[in-house]
Amino acid sequence: MGARRALAITRKSLGQMSNDRRTIGFILVIPIILIIVFGKGFGGQPTNIAVAFVNSDSGPEGAKILGDLPSGTMDLRSVADNASAQSAVQDGTDSAAIVIGANFTRDLATGTAVITVYVDGTYPTIVSAVTGAIQSAIEKALGNSSIRSPLVISPQYVYGSSSTSTIDNLAPGVMALVACFGTTILSILILVREKSVGLLERLFATPLRPLEFVAGHAMSLAVVAAAQCIVLLIVTIVIFQATFVGSIILALAILILFAVGNIGLGMLISAVTQNEFQAVQTIPLIIFPQLLFSGALFPVDVVPVAWRPLSEVLPLTYAADAMHSVLLRGWGVAGVGWDIAILLVYSLLMLAGATALVRRQA
Amino acid sequence: MTKLFGTLTAVDDLTMEVPRGTLLGLLGPNGAGKTTLIRILLGLTRMSKGRAEVLGSTVPSKDILPRVGYMPQNLATYLDLTVEQNLSLFGKLQGMRGDPLSARIDEALKRVVLSERKKELVSHLSGGMQRRVSLAAAILPDPELLLLDEPTVGVDPELRAEFWEYFHQIAGQGRTVVMTTHYMEEASQCDKVAMMHEGRMLAFDTPAAIKERTKAVTMDAAFLALVREKRKRQGVE
Repeated sequence: MGARRALAITRKSLGQMSNDRRTIGFILVIPIILIIVFGKGFGGQPTNIAVAFVNSDSGPEGAKILGDLPSGTMDLRSVADNASAQSAVQDGTDSAAIVIGANFTRDLATGTAVITVYVDGTYPTIVSAVTGAIQSAIEKALGNSSIRSPLVISPQYVYGSSSTSTIDNLAPGVMALVACFGTTILSILILVREKSVGLLERLFATPLRPLEFVAGHAMSLAVVAAAQCIVLLIVTIVIFQATFVGSIILALAILILFAVGNIGLGMLISAVTQNEFQAVQTIPLIIFPQLLFSGALFPVDVVPVAWRPLSEVLPLTYAADAMHSVLLRGWGVAGVGWDIAILLVYSLLMLAGATALVRRQA
Repeated sequence: MTKLFGTLTAVDDLTMEVPRGTLLGLLGPNGAGKTTLIRILLGLTRMSKGRAEVLGSTVPSKDILPRVGYMPQNLATYLDLTVEQNLSLFGKLQGMRGDPLSARIDEALKRVVLSERKKELVSHLSGGMQRRVSLAAAILPDPELLLLDEPTVGVDPELRAEFWEYFHQIAGQGRTVVMTTHYMEEASQCDKVAMMHEGRMLAFDTPAAIKERTKAVTMDAAFLALVREKRKRQGVE
């Protein structure tokens, strides 16, 4: 091996980078962002879960247990009655609802006391966090007292069931992830390539308009995204026997809408970066924050409260929520209307931005 | 027109008029401003100062583009598409379709002697052939104005002669051909030559008139004489 020749290659590569200031910025800044993203977003316990409660107990014990719920795990709010507790979970306002009946204290003495918990079984992590917290509150509240009677926590599944499996829970989020990353990256690379070999210029020397260019690319990549999602749906249903209760057509439509927005995002990125080196470096910035903060893999409740505004600005958060609600909760267009509206605005903004900037690249 | 890139003057106060049916050579070394001039005429970049008219429309104009054929300096064809797929794309973007498009594709391929390679991927062709695909895409719409950026680079002498014959033929039909080249001698075959150097026009006349004025035997010598003359003038200024 010739050390001089090897060093010549090393100097060449470092020289290329140092001639490109923006790349140096990316190289130094991206690891900082990623370590923060992972530190804050990865593998935490759910906190501040939205939970409704009704305490109709005429005695003191119900209030005692509620007071002993570990702080931080849940954000409790009181509702009027059993029916409104149940509907809070049904419409997605709360992830769970705790109902303590009128004769709770009395029933404790006879060993027949029951705490009913309405849960959304499509998020197993949340279910176990909520029931676990209640269990520990019971032990704390009653541990030193003379009452040592059997106590039943009765989970009522508003959505899903105790048999909702990991793959059921993950599949909608994974589909949203695929619609996000695959299309964004393809879109970045296709445009960067056309730009670097002078094809973009050649295309715009014809009567082609920027909107036609963007729409044409968006349609071709939307076909790719749709094909990927159909394959994913078939695999999860046939091989993993996932049980989806909602409309698969609606889910596909949402994915395609989301994919179109991401195609626009990809084009925007390749428009604002100057070469493939810079463009490729933005990919981790798109992937990791969305992977960890969007709720696609872990519920948003595991994101620390201070970082939840980040979740709220990520488009994948809305796509994943919509997919989850449609496929696992069986919601229709009305239920996910807000998600769809946000994805629509996202897609239109990205396509408009790409249309405005793409011609400057030619 | 004038075009500035930052502090660099790419095209410097250039004035010319090219009648229909002219075969014009834009002649000059690299960096003379030839490509920039063509890009301005196509509306791909904006001039900093001045005014230009192409086919009766003020530049930049989208309306003229269906009537303009363009062959850029770099390859600008899809390597992962076949020759036919490439031409079909550019034809459709120019507003052609159906049987007339197929007929034009066949005609253009015959012209660049690539009919046999129609179904092959462009990446499978030699460099010279790939440039011929690019030329075929430019002549596909049977344009009134053909802007060719270094169309004869990498083309063998026999085929180059055929290209020149074709350029003369379409100019004779009233179509205008503007081509850049840095091969000085090749430009002798043009009706008119615009000699450019560092963004300025050194001469705009017939090749014979330029040679006569500079008392040069070759275009090369004429160009050098004009550059020296310009330098001298600048020195006096």
